[in-house]
Amino acid sequence: MRKEATLLLLTVLCLLLSGCWSKRELNEIAIVVALGIDQLDDEYEVTVQIVNPGEISSKQPTSGRSPVATYSATGATLYEAIRKVTLLSPRKSYFSHLQVVVLGSEFAATDINPAFDFLSRDHEFRNDFNIVVAYETTAKDIISVLTPIEKIPAHKITNSLEISEKAWGSTVSVTMDDVITLQYGKDSSLALSTIELIGNKKIGKSQENVNQIVVSAVLKYRGLAIIKQGKLVGILTEEESMGYNFLTDNIKSTIEKITCPNGGDLATEITNTKTSLKGKIVDDTPKIYIEVNVEQNVGEVNCVIDLVTEQAIKKINEETSNVIKQKIEKTLHALQKNYEADAVHFSNILHQQEPKKWRKIEHQWATLFPDVEVIVDVRVQTKNSGTIKNSTFFLSKE
Amino acid sequence: MSNKQIISTRQFTIVTFLYSIGTSILIIPSYLAELSKQDSWIAATVGVLLSILLLMLYITLANTFPKRTFIEIIEKVFGKWLGKFIAILFIIFAFMNSSELLYFIGSFMQIEIMPETPNTAFVLLFALIIIMGSYLGLETFARSAELFFPMFMFLFIFFIIFITPDIKFENILPILDTAPRKFIASVLYFMSIFSFPSIMLLMIFPHTINKNKSAQKGFYLGILLGGFVLILLIALCILALGVINTASQNYPTYVLAQRISIGNFFQRIEVIITFMWIITIYIRTFVYFYTALVGLQQIFHIKNEKPLILPLSFLLIGVSQIIHPNITHSSIYNTGVWIPYSATFSVILPIFLLLIAKIRRL
Repeated sequence: MRKEATLLLLTVLCLLLSGCWSKRELNEIAIVVALGIDQLDDEYEVTVQIVNPGEISSKQPTSGRSPVATYSATGATLYEAIRKVTLLSPRKSYFSHLQVVVLGSEFAATDINPAFDFLSRDHEFRNDFNIVVAYETTAKDIISVLTPIEKIPAHKITNSLEISEKAWGSTVSVTMDDVITLQYGKDSSLALSTIELIGNKKIGKSQENVNQIVVSAVLKYRGLAIIKQGKLVGILTEEESMGYNFLTDNIKSTIEKITCPNGGDLATEITNTKTSLKGKIVDDTPKIYIEVNVEQNVGEVNCVIDLVTEQAIKKINEETSNVIKQKIEKTLHALQKNYEADAVHFSNILHQQEPKKWRKIEHQWATLFPDVEVIVDVRVQTKNSGTIKNSTFFLSKE
Repeated sequence: MSNKQIISTRQFTIVTFLYSIGTSILIIPSYLAELSKQDSWIAATVGVLLSILLLMLYITLANTFPKRTFIEIIEKVFGKWLGKFIAILFIIFAFMNSSELLYFIGSFMQIEIMPETPNTAFVLLFALIIIMGSYLGLETFARSAELFFPMFMFLFIFFIIFITPDIKFENILPILDTAPRKFIASVLYFMSIFSFPSIMLLMIFPHTINKNKSAQKGFYLGILLGGFVLILLIALCILALGVINTASQNYPTYVLAQRISIGNFFQRIEVIITFMWIITIYIRTFVYFYTALVGLQQIFHIKNEKPLILPLSFLLIGVSQIIHPNITHSSIYNTGVWIPYSATFSVILPIFLLLIAKIRRL
């Protein structure tokens, strides 16, 4: 009996010898870091950017090969197209380390919902990658550019996005998770950053591009793309994009230019902002109150101004407040009048703060939104003036 | 029973705790968020409080027949033939549940972690530990639950701490905005998965526990703690993922675990977190299987349940492969059929038993 039991156990142990069922070793997978989706007639074209692992390890001397390779395939559905990449690629694509998805401008203008469905349905995608829209070009072109400093172009795309969002404030990093939670708001509008290819497309694709001190092709972020019900309806200017970030409490730091009382410019560095939105519904008419609290430092003085007076500081505060208010109002005008897209999700604010009254106006939100009255209040505090007090280079004439 | 197994109150409390979390941890947040939106956590709180009433019913019933298991109570109250008939229906209910859970763990692993591995592979491995547990008996099972408890708590606290940076408070606003009908439906749904199955614990309680009085307290404590864990997890799903995301996911808790990322360095630990529900689902599957096993033994008056284990478990694996043809069938079953089906056995049946017992003065 004991012998038999031992034998049985040993047989059972054999089951484990096969290892994991669907294991894939590192040398069998192609790590995809960027994915581009384009519309090609009535088919989708996907482009994957795959890391060449030998080229990015720091120990070996590089052989001069490209650190990444891109492959494109077309298909009637996205999944089909992605599987068809195996016709070209030596390994099967592995998407868990995907960092960015680029949507071609034409594709974004038709319907991006198929992409969102596929990306959130497949289990290999982790929903933490950024989504950007290509500006007047294809996604294929965007992810086929070699970039200096960052060997992997996908890193450059995500790093630029995050850094410009933090330090300049005209871009937003929107991940798949954000899309799932925000896109299907009351009128499913959202804003995505756009990226543009400047320069020579052809050289951009070759190693030559990174061998120069001034690169021939460079990727640059533009204003935000407004998506409404799965379609690209317009692109905000840089100023409006910053206004959008002020509205969504997403400004970490930025620079504002104001005019001095006696002519000339003065630049301030915004160091801290806090935006709070309040919604009120009176007699079925929604109203939005926006309060922006800004802290800033004086960063650059190109005019004659006595910074050591209360008055000057007060003046700077007022001026900055006006500049920011104008930006926000421009954004609101663009969203409400031009695109009629509730990309700042006023509907959520109203739903959260006035749940009962909201239910009455919910069904007519699309017609109400363009005319919603928005009251913007910007409060600015100037804290410091940098390491020097009054400028020694712009002395008052007295 | 020939070989009477005795477990301690502490062990029973832990079993109740892990059992009540069971599959709820994975499937409740999604459908609850669909029904009662950002108020899901309130629905869950109400559900936990109402479960106390249900427990009172169970404990009163069990104390009327302190020396009998639930199957024996059915036989005693309804008489030999009707009793056996109802007992068999109850056993089928328990058996179906355990094979459904096997299917469930298989499909979870397949959908989220290893899509190319067949469902059967997971089911076989998981069934193996169920079979092993049944051979070793209730005492060993209770002790293993005791060992799992600190592991579970460690993972749970770990999970809670590391997900807090992702919380967005505005996600649960507005509070109490759900239509009353949907709210009631969601409370019912929560209870049907969280506390209705506690009826199975009457196979253990109170006769296999060494101290009756403290066992009652343990029953309440286990359910309350389990409920607390679930309320917290549901609230976290809503707070971190948002209502729409939670409702659209098959397994929101897993997605929540994927969110953990501390400084882009400490991340991708969801598979470790998964161990949490592997434990609780094991406890629940085992109790269902044990109920079916001991139930069969008792209605046919077999001295030892051991010879029944292998045939029953073969059946279990087989049924688990055909019980749901696809995931949609499974979720329709869970949200539609399950509530009246389980309520029949875990609410209506005990009330009838208690009434008839009072009338017949048993």
